Order: sequence, then C-alpha cells, then structure tokens
Amino acid sequence: MEVLKKPLNNLKSKKMKTTTIFIMLAIVIAFTACNTKQTSETETTSTEQSDQLYACSMHPDITGKKGDKCSECGMELTEPVKSETVQATTVQATTEATATVSIKEIVSNYLQLKNALTKDNTNDAATAGKALETALKNFDKSALTAEQKTTFEDIQTDAIEHAEHIGTNAGKIEHQREHFDLLSKDMYDLVKAFGAGQTLYKDFCPMYNDNKGAIWLSEAKEIKNPYYGKSMSSCGSMKEELK
Amino acid sequence: MHIIKKILLVLLIVFIGIQFIRPVRNESGQVLSTDIIKTLNVPDSVLNALKMSCYDCHSNNTNYPFYVNIEPVGWMLNNHIKNGKDKLNFSDFGSYSRRRQMSKLRSIISQIKDDKMPLSSYTVIHKDAILTTKDKALIIDWSNKTKDSLSSLN
Repeated sequence: MEVLKKPLNNLKSKKMKTTTIFIMLAIVIAFTACNTKQTSETETTSTEQSDQLYACSMHPDITGKKGDKCSECGMELTEPVKSETVQATTVQATTEATATVSIKEIVSNYLQLKNALTKDNTNDAATAGKALETALKNFDKSALTAEQKTTFEDIQTDAIEHAEHIGTNAGKIEHQREHFDLLSKDMYDLVKAFGAGQTLYKDFCPMYNDNKGAIWLSEAKEIKNPYYGKSMSSCGSMKEELK
Repeated sequence: MHIIKKILLVLLIVFIGIQFIRPVRNESGQVLSTDIIKTLNVPDSVLNALKMSCYDCHSNNTNYPFYVNIEPVGWMLNNHIKNGKDKLNFSDFGSYSRRRQMSKLRSIISQIKDDKMPLSSYTVIHKDAILTTKDKALIIDWSNKTKDSLSSLN
C-alpha cells in the first residue's frame, strides 16, 4: 500500500482523488436513474393473525390463549377460534347497510363536486374529485355478490379515471366538466344498481356537449346547472326522481 | 482550464456510462386479440391516421426514431410511452369495458378537437404525425359514430 500511495501523492493526488469521486458520483447517479424507472408498486396484503384465540370444547363462549384453562370446567382450551368466519358472518348480516354506507360516501363526494361546478369553483371541484377517487378506490367490495361486483367494477374503473382527471385539472374547468359529464352517467348507473341511501334527482342539461345534452345527479329539486355554472344556473330540467 | 477539463471528462464518462442502461423496447410486433381492429370496425383511413399520429405512444408497437439509441433520450421516450399506454392503448382496447371504451372515444374526440393530442412536443420532431384537418374530421367522425353505436347496444 505504501508503495502505491507514494507515486499517487507525487502525481497530484488531490486531482486524482477528485476525479475518482466524480466518477463514483456519476456511476451512482446513473444507477439511481435506472432504479427509479422500474419502481413497481407491490402492495403487500398481509393478513396477520396476531392473537389466535382458543375456545373450550365444552364451553365455546370461553376463549383464551393456547394452553389456558376453561374458567367453567377447567379443561384446556383446544378449539381454535376462526376470527375470519366471525367477521364474515357479521359482514353478511350487515350487507345491505355497509353497501349503502360506502356508496353514500361516493355519492356525497360526487355531490360536493357537482356543487363546486355549479359555483364555477374549479379548485373545490378538484378537491372533491380527489376525494371521490379515494372513495371509489376504497369501496369495500367484500359484501357484494359476484354479479354486483362485476357491475360495480365496470363502473368503478371508468369513474376513477374521470375523478382522477377532475382532481388533477384544477384551473381547467371545461376539462373537468367534460369528465363530469361521463362521471355523471357512471354515477347514475351506480345509484340505480346500488341505491344512494338518499333521494336524488336526475337532471338534464340539453345544451351541453354540442346540444347532445348531459345529465347530472342532484340532492335538491331546484336546478343548479353544473355544466355552465353561474352563467346559466337555472338551465335544465328534472327528469327522474331516484329513491 | 483544468476544472473545465475535469468536468467535461466526468460528463463524458457519465454519458458513456448511461448508454448501457437501456429500457425494454415497446415493440411486440403482434396483433393481440384485444386490439382495436379486432374489437371495433375501424376503416383504413382512420386506422392509418391513428397509426401515424397516435400509435407510437398508444399501442404496443412504437416506431422508434434512430436517436432513441442515445440515452437519456430513450429513457424519456420510454416514460412517455408508458404514460400514454396507461391512459389509452389501442392494442388493448378490446379489454376495456364498453363503458370505458365509450369514455376513451369521447376523450379522443375532445383531445383532438382541442389540439391537445398529439402532443406538440412530439409533433415538433414528428412532423408527419401532425393531423391534417381532414384526418381530424375523420377520426372525430368515426369516434362519434362508434361511440353512438356502442351506447345503442345498451
């Protein structure tokens, strides 16, 4: 090592050092650039069963850890309690309720979006769009039947895209409204299939979309047009009452 | 002088170094069963316009220019293509639900009407990708008709 170091020192070691540092940096940069390209989103869905419960074979109500004794008869707790089945049954019992509750969140975010558009408020529309996107993504489908799931997912994939576009296009209200048109059709189908949990009105604006018209859903009977906002607030008519 | 030389040397090394990191090309060379031409009725005139102006970023087959071989240009293009295909992929159009197909057609119409697509940063280099007024009308008309026929299937 000493032998190697000496000639290096003679050859302006400082210069060499800085160059090597630069080269190393370059390699590091090159590799990080490479890495960032392929960051796949791997979502690990870990179903941890941290505390497994055991029940007494004679008294199923008595539960505890493995090796514990039953407080009723003193027998060892041997029957593993399947927490999953317990969950499944409770979910089944409240299927109707949970389905409506979650859709309610989707609906309320949609209505917020609609109201922002009636006020020509592009930023609030974007915020509501983002919230709607999250609500759509987080909807718990476990309570749906296979058929319902297909219906929902069909609407969901499309609606998420529209909500996303509305969320990322603050300042471009016309673009937001274009997506709101298609989103409203999705929402109508969704409410038709699953129920909103509240009375909604299907309104129609005949002028939008080159006079082809467009629908929207509203929580109030009074017409407030989200496609043209304040400039033509009362333009439109109620077509259907959804209960 | 010495510092400038050093910097240039480093840049040269970085430049050479990154040439070895190449993304996988977007060239499948085959027509999937989900391709738009297997799903919808696309007249040749429309298909040619789409291929000329859209397919580089919205299909599984990019017609690469020579300078893609110079990094980091290749990386940038790769990113563009990935993004474009996420939004709309003509090679995979048949796998979309009917609802989504209709949404996509609608978006095609508005993007072309507003001259947002093809991207101006793309047409600067690909002059032949600029849609003529006739091409635009063709695509918009076809999209409208297809959209209507899809919605009447309900």
